[in-house]
Amino acid sequence: MSRIKTRTLLAATLILIAAGILLLSQGGMLDPAQDLILRPISSVQTWVAMRYAAIRDLLKSPSDLAELRAQNAELELEIAQLQQEIISLQEQVAESQILSALLNYARSEPENRYLAANIIGKDTSPFIRSVWMDRGSDVGIKQGMPVVTERGLVGRVAEVFATSARVQLITDPEIIVNVRLQNSRSDGALAPQLSGEIWVDLIDQDIDVSPGELVLTSGLGGIYPADIPVGEVISVRKRDYELFQQVVIQPSVDVDDLEIVLIITNFRPLTTEANP
Amino acid sequence: MAYLIGIPLLAILAILQSVIFNDLTLFDGRPDLILLAVVAWGINGRSREAMIWGLFGGLFLDQLSGLPLGTTAIILIVIAYLVSFTEGRFWEANFLMPMGVMILFSLLYYLFTLIILWLLGKPLDLSLALVRIILPSTFLNLILALPASQLIKSLSRLVFPPEVNI
Repeated sequence: MSRIKTRTLLAATLILIAAGILLLSQGGMLDPAQDLILRPISSVQTWVAMRYAAIRDLLKSPSDLAELRAQNAELELEIAQLQQEIISLQEQVAESQILSALLNYARSEPENRYLAANIIGKDTSPFIRSVWMDRGSDVGIKQGMPVVTERGLVGRVAEVFATSARVQLITDPEIIVNVRLQNSRSDGALAPQLSGEIWVDLIDQDIDVSPGELVLTSGLGGIYPADIPVGEVISVRKRDYELFQQVVIQPSVDVDDLEIVLIITNFRPLTTEANP
Repeated sequence: MAYLIGIPLLAILAILQSVIFNDLTLFDGRPDLILLAVVAWGINGRSREAMIWGLFGGLFLDQLSGLPLGTTAIILIVIAYLVSFTEGRFWEANFLMPMGVMILFSLLYYLFTLIILWLLGKPLDLSLALVRIILPSTFLNLILALPASQLIKSLSRLVFPPEVNI
């Protein structure tokens, strides 16, 4: 058999295997195997994410580095040890600041029960807007649970494995979030754009919306609890010939820079076909 | 032996892609470490192993993505198969060859990804995807093509030392 034929046969066999895996996984038959594979992967991912966050935080504070560089040669060894300590402490301070803010938020919303999780990675596909967190079904995380920070809504749990879960972000064009404008009390629907802009659509033309107005979850549809901040209106798009007006919002949470999030664990979202 | 080293390496690359390289973006584009590894292994004359790397690498990527498990694997197997046709061509010896191959296969990789996303019914904006993701990612892959090719060549020599006639 020629080399090309052998290669073609191998490629066809491998594609069939991958297609088989695709079909089995869509049927949910590979969930136990995926759990088994994701367990060590998410452990390594958590380990790498923690180290990466520490290094990134250190690089973001150049004054500390400049100060350290200025130390004399005799103290270099000591500095190296101190530097390591500083990295670890800075990371702890940053983490405790985030946790303290999250705790204050949790205290201000006593009706909700929260579970904190570290963000350990982003989706490997640039076309999918989601992140991975280091909590999964082992600690009771379920699909559909809302994910927030002290600033507002982050998204919802889209996929759950034993030790990790994928969070669909509010910037994902496929997410469904019913919202309400705080002052005008008008309802709308979040409409994230592929460009990264976030719009709120389906707002009545009669309503006066002004920039700066806060956008909150409305609780309609039972997918999210009501009154979680989503963003702030930055501009209004109103055309007379259209049935509804749209507003462009600045999200409350910078979803590109997430470190720790809270999952609302006592909220049971209603499931629909569009929101499985 | 190539699988013994390749599979853990691909798992590590997928983790690095998810944690670190998705932060190092140009617009929304980012370097595709597993694509780089599979193409580099393929142009190194190990096309059959590259196809199997494509299967495992794709599965690791899908495992850390919202895409259905197996989709990226299919794309990477096809890419590795197509890379095998570059073997033995007159321009193979040119040191810039990995760059040319990487441009072509980065574009193909994204073309196949767009087709899969379209089949899955995901919302797409072709011009936006081209400007914000495909071209920047291809550029980043192009920059990393030579170092990746050299690293993979060194790894290949380490795993399969050249035979010496005595």
